[in-house]
Amino acid sequence: MSEGGAVNTVPVTPKARAQRGYLSQAVREAFVDWGTRLGALWIGVLIFIAVFAPFLANSHPLLLSEAGQVRSPLLEYLSAADVTLLVAFFSALALLWVPGTVRSKLLAWLAILALGGLLSWLLISPPKLSIYEQYRERQASGQYDWVITAPIPYSAKDYLRDYGAAGLEAPLASEERRHWLGTDENGADVLSRMIHATRIALGIGLVATGIAMLIGTIIGGLMGYFSGVVDMIGMRLVEIFEAIPVLFLLLTFVAFFGRNLYIMMVIIGITSWTGYARYVRAEFLKLRQQEFVQAAVACGLPLHSILFRHMLPNGMAPVLVAVSFSVASAILAEATLSFLGLGLVDDPSWGQMLNQAVQAATFNWWMAAFPGGAIFLTVFAYNLIGESMRDAIDPYLKKSSR
Amino acid sequence: MYHYLIRRLLLMFPTLFGITLVVFMVMAAAPGGISAQSLIEGQNLEPEVKKALEDYYNRLYGLDDPAPVQYLRWLNNVSPIGFTVDKDGELEGFSLTKGSDLGMSFRYGRPVLDLLAERVPVTLLLNVLSVPIIYLIAIVIGVRAATERGRSFDVGSGVTLLGLWSVPTMLAGVLLIGFFASDQYWHWFPTAGLSRREALVMPFLPHWSAWGDLLLLFAAVAVAVSLCVGISLKGGARLRMLLMAVLGLFLGGMMAAALPGEQGYLVTLVLAAALAGIFALVAYTDYAALRTGVMGIIGLFLGIAVAAHFAQGEFVRGFLLDRLWHLALPVLCLSYGSFAFLAKLTRSAVLENLQADYARTARAKGVPERLVLWRHVFRNSLLPLITVAAGLLPGLLGGSIIVEALFSIDGMGKLAVEAVQSRDRELVLSLTLISGLLTLVGYLISDICYAIADPRVSYE
Repeated sequence: MSEGGAVNTVPVTPKARAQRGYLSQAVREAFVDWGTRLGALWIGVLIFIAVFAPFLANSHPLLLSEAGQVRSPLLEYLSAADVTLLVAFFSALALLWVPGTVRSKLLAWLAILALGGLLSWLLISPPKLSIYEQYRERQASGQYDWVITAPIPYSAKDYLRDYGAAGLEAPLASEERRHWLGTDENGADVLSRMIHATRIALGIGLVATGIAMLIGTIIGGLMGYFSGVVDMIGMRLVEIFEAIPVLFLLLTFVAFFGRNLYIMMVIIGITSWTGYARYVRAEFLKLRQQEFVQAAVACGLPLHSILFRHMLPNGMAPVLVAVSFSVASAILAEATLSFLGLGLVDDPSWGQMLNQAVQAATFNWWMAAFPGGAIFLTVFAYNLIGESMRDAIDPYLKKSSR
Repeated sequence: MYHYLIRRLLLMFPTLFGITLVVFMVMAAAPGGISAQSLIEGQNLEPEVKKALEDYYNRLYGLDDPAPVQYLRWLNNVSPIGFTVDKDGELEGFSLTKGSDLGMSFRYGRPVLDLLAERVPVTLLLNVLSVPIIYLIAIVIGVRAATERGRSFDVGSGVTLLGLWSVPTMLAGVLLIGFFASDQYWHWFPTAGLSRREALVMPFLPHWSAWGDLLLLFAAVAVAVSLCVGISLKGGARLRMLLMAVLGLFLGGMMAAALPGEQGYLVTLVLAAALAGIFALVAYTDYAALRTGVMGIIGLFLGIAVAAHFAQGEFVRGFLLDRLWHLALPVLCLSYGSFAFLAKLTRSAVLENLQADYARTARAKGVPERLVLWRHVFRNSLLPLITVAAGLLPGLLGGSIIVEALFSIDGMGKLAVEAVQSRDRELVLSLTLISGLLTLVGYLISDICYAIADPRVSYE
């Protein structure tokens, strides 16, 4: 912990370095690694795909001209969630360029997100029914002057009914309809489904981890601060949750609570908080003896102020390093649940696509390899980042590498 | 020690109680919860029949009682000491010898105990086979990666292991089944189950109708293995790589030829190149133990294949071989992620100890590096491995849910999925109890092993 100590003793180090803090130093060190950069690049690509999914793969044409009138079915069918994501993405981009502290930027972003989400949910109501075949039929009969489609002109739930019962198709099997990664048994384009499933994977990973971190930090913080009886009861709770195989607990929760994206996020969160509770408890047990905490107690500060203002920022580093691994396992958990047939029913997810590959009468490698490969790459990327973050804060490895 | 053991065993009870309480609360708090309605939901029945069925279930399992009453009744039934109840549901008295009763499964209509007795051994078999494989590979690779720190073996194995750890079990399973078990590609392994029906009546061990075949088998295996091991130990790096690459090319071509249907030359070329590359990589590594081991295994399979090709008489597989044949892919699926994780852990543990003061002292005294590594450093590096072993067991139990679903093996994992899907209260609670018990026993065993490995730890 020599690095952490050096940061706390301000007069010794230059001011700029002291302000950087232990964690951001670790992040900086981690990003020297090429593995981390590649991982971050892949996640960046996924975020881009998730935000622009409707523009990348959609049966509704982007622009078309019908009898001299130009209209955009794609924009008409944009849902509230699509718009909220776009608002979140662009406001985040804009805030990156605006000067200001991280804290104020984050608050501003959350405010914009909340406002944009609320407004789009109230104002935007796309038509409920979408008939994807109509565009292809009208285009074939020459009703459109010109049409600009999305790069992949198939929606995730466009089962291509107008092409008869062709259904399953290997990648690039037919000339006139180009399916880069083939179609599944229902006839839907695999690449399009994968693009739309990106949102679920990323969303579940981040939100479930956030929930787990929140629960773990609060319980672990209380355990570490009070120790004694609270600690003993808390540790029994942690033990109880750790003694049930996580997947089994997840199965029970999901089977009994139904299959909703948000419920699944919460469930994955409440089954994976124990690791955080252990980390935070250990840190707080160390911190509570230190002078600044004693001083805060002596000043008569309220409990939440001592815990979250004074202690938490000093004990957060190991928790944040674990985040990356935790996101990876949350994505895996969702994929596993969907794979076992307990996931979302209608919306595509990578795990559900794998399940379809297993349920199919014949083995079609493209139905398994591509969505499975997407899960693998994403989990691998998060694990790579987590790995080098952990190496960056490990004093043993640091000492010996120099 | 005994004192400690007894205390630990007693501490298990509150935890087990908590586990079942948590799971019961989840079930009871869910919309619909555990009720007679949810049991017959989805069946298309006449209203009268529905009512009668509901009444029947309510009477049978007490589903119309409040949730706490239901839980207490279940607890009373399960614990070996408790109240006895007469036929009308009235309390009869307190008994110390009433024995525990896990109840009847709603879905199967059979005693839960019978179901568990059928299914739990299957899952345990899978896990018991996986654990030694996991530890063996993890230690072989992890120790080498630590001693080779920063060199190509360390970097290569590090990235490969992290990649393996990230491969979802579902993906590995689907692809393994698809390519190596379905008859669309190579039909080498069975797709599902634990044994063929005809294997159940076979003798336990394999046997041959002609003695010549057995001799041939031994001869072929001996020749092939000794050739491979000899090349690995005596040959130079160039010679090894060349020979293995040629062997890989040949086998790849054979694999492509074995595919059903007409194959283009591209498939043959890719397969041959891939196998040749893998074999050459194995031959290239200067880690003699790993290389010799892998090449010996390649030789073994080569010998068996040659003997099988030239065998004259009939060969009866036998129960044991059939079971192993069925278990090969599931055990592979279950173990690869864990050994990747464990190998990384071994590496960091050995690395930490290699730099410790006692290791330097040993080197300064003139102890050879090999002894420093295996006698001093390795023993100390075992401690984190033992700690993790406790966590490995619940992980494997969870993993077997996926593997059993994939390979249609009737084990505990598959039973768990069926139980939660059909809201089978008794089965879910009993499975929770069993898996919790297995996990806690795993913790206990790892604590005892810890004391054996580290003399500083004592539980007095």
